[in-house]
Amino acid sequence: MKVKIKNWNAVATWRWDLPEDDVCGICQVQFDGTCPTCKYPGDDCSLLSGKCGHNFHMHCIMEWIKQDSSKGQCPMCRQKFEWGPEVGVPQQQEGQQGVAAGE
Amino acid sequence: MSGLGPKRLGKELTKIQNSLPPGITLVSADNLEEWFLDIQVLDQNPLYAGQTYRLKFKFSKSYPIEPPEVTFTKTDNRPIPMHPHIYSNGIICLDLLGSQGWSPVQNVESVCMSIQSMLTGNTKDERPPGDEEFVRGNRLRPRDIDFYYHDNTV
Repeated sequence: MKVKIKNWNAVATWRWDLPEDDVCGICQVQFDGTCPTCKYPGDDCSLLSGKCGHNFHMHCIMEWIKQDSSKGQCPMCRQKFEWGPEVGVPQQQEGQQGVAAGE
Repeated sequence: MSGLGPKRLGKELTKIQNSLPPGITLVSADNLEEWFLDIQVLDQNPLYAGQTYRLKFKFSKSYPIEPPEVTFTKTDNRPIPMHPHIYSNGIICLDLLGSQGWSPVQNVESVCMSIQSMLTGNTKDERPPGDEEFVRGNRLRPRDIDFYYHDNTV
């Protein structure tokens, strides 16, 4: 018996690569949810990982950082809150890929 | 940012209605602007043994980006605790409640615990220097006062 697929609906799930019950320290909403001003999680309400290792909804941490009183510090550890251009893509991973390609 | 405050307070309220650390109880939270909590010092500090004190939290629309206004309030059986950083009108001089010491990861529970431990560790049965004058003359809101930390060892 031949089956002809007329159409199909793909469904995918996603989650941030973080422990499941982790919450944003500022709004206290789980990272897989949005910050309180957004409707849809994901690219429209992304996370920002500081070099100090603390994560926040980007919209939440930006509200804090733009306050003078924040002095640009991470709300968790009070180190300067800095983030790199490639958040979530550690340098070592790229290096390993390079080695694999050479073999 | 509109929206951050109410949602976060709603979450905090759900949490503290279910559980709070020992010595801290929620008295009332009828709206998202003003809450009352009672605190007790649980160890045997003779200054505070057997007493209960009432804290008033006032939240601005910018909470938790801005700190809440936290003061002790006096009722018939809730005095203002004696402490070199607590004025007799209930205003508390604590760095984390000022814009310089506040962080948005603090919350009602953590603030209560800080105040509780501020009392626990105190041995001085006294008011801040200049208390009478301050209480008579002050018309500023607590967050607008530039506290001068007379004694940082307390």
